[in-house]
Amino acid sequence: MKRSATLTIDVDHSMTQPLLSIRDLRTYFYTEAGVARSVDGVSFDIGAGETVGIVGESGCGKSVTALSILRLIQPPGRIESGSRIEFEGKDLVTLGDTEMRHVRGNRISMIFQEPMSALNPVFTVGDQVAEVARIHAGLSRRKAWDRAVETLALTGMPAPEERAKQYPHQLSGGMRQRVLIAMALIMKPALVIADEPTTALDVTIQAQILDLLMHLQKEFGTSILMITHDLGVIAETTSRVIVMYAGEIVEEAAVDELFAKPHHPYTEGLMHSMPHIGHDQERLNVIPGTVPAPTNWPQGCRFFDRCPYSWDLPEREHPPLYDVGANHTSRCHLAIEPARRNNPHPPLVVVEGVGAA
Amino acid sequence: MPGQIPESAATSAPRPRESAFAIGLRRILRKPSSRIALVVLVVIVLVGLLAPMIAPYDPAAQPDIVGLKSLPPSLAHPFGTDPYSRDVLSRVIYGARLSLTIGLLATLVSLTLGVAYGAIAGYAGGLVDSVMMRVLDAFLAIPRLLLLLGILVAWPQFSIGALILFLGLTGWFGLSRLVRGQVLALKHAEFVAAAHALGASRRRILARHLLPNLISPIVVAATLGIAHVIVLEAGLSYLGIGAPPPLASWGNIILDGADQVATLWWLSLFPGLFMVLTVMTLNVLGEALRDAYDRR
Amino acid sequence: MVGYIGRRLAQAAVIVAFVAAITFALIHLAPGDPFSAVMDNQNVSETVRQTLRAQYGFDRPLPEQFVRYIGQLAKGDLGWSFSHDRTVLEVLGSALPNTILLMGVALVGSFVLGIFIALIQVAKRGTATDHALSGVTLLLLSMPDFWLAILALLAFTYWLPIFPVGGAVDPVMHEYMGLGARVFDRLRHLVLPAATLTVLAAGVVARYQRGALLDVLPADYIRTARLKGLTEREILRRHALRNALLPIISLIGLSFPALLTGAFFIEKIFAWPGMGLAVLNAIGTRDYPLVVGGVIIGSIMVTLGSLIADLLYAWADPRVRGH
Repeated sequence: MKRSATLTIDVDHSMTQPLLSIRDLRTYFYTEAGVARSVDGVSFDIGAGETVGIVGESGCGKSVTALSILRLIQPPGRIESGSRIEFEGKDLVTLGDTEMRHVRGNRISMIFQEPMSALNPVFTVGDQVAEVARIHAGLSRRKAWDRAVETLALTGMPAPEERAKQYPHQLSGGMRQRVLIAMALIMKPALVIADEPTTALDVTIQAQILDLLMHLQKEFGTSILMITHDLGVIAETTSRVIVMYAGEIVEEAAVDELFAKPHHPYTEGLMHSMPHIGHDQERLNVIPGTVPAPTNWPQGCRFFDRCPYSWDLPEREHPPLYDVGANHTSRCHLAIEPARRNNPHPPLVVVEGVGAA
Repeated sequence: MPGQIPESAATSAPRPRESAFAIGLRRILRKPSSRIALVVLVVIVLVGLLAPMIAPYDPAAQPDIVGLKSLPPSLAHPFGTDPYSRDVLSRVIYGARLSLTIGLLATLVSLTLGVAYGAIAGYAGGLVDSVMMRVLDAFLAIPRLLLLLGILVAWPQFSIGALILFLGLTGWFGLSRLVRGQVLALKHAEFVAAAHALGASRRRILARHLLPNLISPIVVAATLGIAHVIVLEAGLSYLGIGAPPPLASWGNIILDGADQVATLWWLSLFPGLFMVLTVMTLNVLGEALRDAYDRR
Repeated sequence: MVGYIGRRLAQAAVIVAFVAAITFALIHLAPGDPFSAVMDNQNVSETVRQTLRAQYGFDRPLPEQFVRYIGQLAKGDLGWSFSHDRTVLEVLGSALPNTILLMGVALVGSFVLGIFIALIQVAKRGTATDHALSGVTLLLLSMPDFWLAILALLAFTYWLPIFPVGGAVDPVMHEYMGLGARVFDRLRHLVLPAATLTVLAAGVVARYQRGALLDVLPADYIRTARLKGLTEREILRRHALRNALLPIISLIGLSFPALLTGAFFIEKIFAWPGMGLAVLNAIGTRDYPLVVGGVIIGSIMVTLGSLIADLLYAWADPRVRGH
């Protein structure tokens, strides 16, 4: 495998321009403990009508990426200059405040994982959904309300006219999530970012909500950026997956390819830690060790001390994204020394005698 | 460096436990506003303590009844003189002494009563607790000034000690609620049950678990309480039923100038300034303490 | 909801009953006879003395006295004010509306002013404006009521003679004025006392409201509001404030004692003919029944205030409203 000298990120899946194009996004937090480089050079595209997934454990920077797209990073965080987020012909990073507000909720919207607290307890849910239409479409209260009820109906909410008049505390978790989805979709945005939309929900409701999201995507042609730590959700809903670790993209591939041929040792680790039905397992496989602190990324490969294949090169040199297949990239030096995969060893973290699972 | 050693595996020497008092002090000293307040308060306390040494005149002295009557501020009398020909600066300095003393002692009475009442109610529980709380509600429904009026007007005359007692007797209601709440919470807390199961005596549980949790609300209540008492005592003195003349209290001084507020403005201004200053510093410290302990 | 109202009313009644018991205890615990000033006063007629004796029944056993006392209170009989030569109820009853007017204006005014200040502080949190306003509110709540009133009197009636020195109406001319002039006269006299009380109370409100707003701002639903594309101002006013107003409603009930106490001092200094002035004047004449009457009425006002605040809260919070 030839070593690429440059980053290859233009995974162009369609003939047309991508809907969202992120280039070298860096979001840093300036805290008392130091500068936390939560997102440290992330680049990827989302095409129209695509569902892209970002998977990684907590702290890898996936949520911060999502917030950065919508420019919701508050001090002491900051999107560093040099970052570019192109969307509908504009760079969201340098866009004016007023224009950015026109984008939020209107062209790009977001769904969070905690429907419990994401809704204002003193307003009816109908009001809260209608508010989006009042702001962006300038609709009258009456018209906005009607549209809100319509959208709620689309989300599969039973008896939407009655429910719209109720308050958040009167609805179940699944219904509240439908309200949030309605809020996100009422203006028919081009992109919906879903940050762990089902984590806080019952397993049965999870399935319903995911189905709903997929259905709505087909209906409206919306692109979805699905952020999750759950590989199952990834498998079910996305067509392309980005794996993030320690503020960077470490692997990107089509979903089938990723599951069949994971390249990066971290991805491998994630796959193996998924419990399989039908297999008897004595204990869950866990990747030993923990993520390094974002204020202190190591100089070389950030997965170095947890990696079962590491050798001296990754310790010294930070790996770039290599091409490892059709539309498949991986940030791992194994791309140029694949033989090392034959000599796994206990990760260095374990060798030091501490930090076992 | 390959593999950082996770904290949990490392053995670290146990840090000596800081007393709640020290924690509070340390946290307050971080904020610049509380540092200033503390300094100012210390100055005022020193003024009060050293009053006999720094006051230029005797606060009750009337060396020249005619010549020194109601004089505006001058070099000889920076705060002027009152209608009884006494030096106002000295009276204000002694006023600091009196007000702080009354504030401190009355608050001590309140603290004792408040903790005792609250602890008993919380510990007893059941009907006793309910009745005690209703009585408390009734006391809380009476504005403190009115309650004091009800008491003080009934007594033909009373000493300064009695005043302190009455002030103390009317200031414990809020604190006892807090204390009761803590006691109730602790009664049901798991670690108390665990300690019981391990054979700890009631007294030990009380000392080791209850008291440390009480220190923060008590300290906060004390600081803010002293501020309240100072203002209240001044108000009562202004109404004529506070510190008995010729004792110098900030309220008394203002009362002396009440008949001719416009012409004898110095009698209203200076005591008030000192009062506001003292109360402000106490409020700043009280709030800072409350924030400091909240962060636990 | 109805059940809640009923329960709160019953609680309030119990509290007032206990207050009556406390005043009864006060009357009887005092050394000597608090009514000695009355009893020994030769100018007071024998009938009045008889009435007092019968009323407070000092020769009867205590429990019986207590029952009679409660009975009388329930009928509205608060005793006889010898310094006014009328019943306590008459004296205080005619003065009470003035106090309620003063307190009412100050209550509304202080909340409006306080919330306004808090909104400015939160919109500009961390800036010099925020710190300066915090200093101002601290000063206001540390200020003794009577002292600010004296300063206000000095400043706006003596040094800058804008407002009248005291009273509720012009003592000489008021009856001869036309309707419009009379209204204006009343307003002119109301401004300074009401403004002083308002400013004093606004400090506490501003602090509470600022705290409540800051507590609400990190909430998830505020983040949702940002996601929708609302401006910071809209978020503050529409989403944050609505939620932050809820804890402030409780403050309404809690501020009654302070408002009442403040009103007392302000009435004295501005000679505003309210209940406070009547009670404070009774100190000099040792008209004890009047003082006790003031305590009872004052406590009833505080209890009612707290009750109203609780009911208001229950109505305002949809989570409590009955779901």
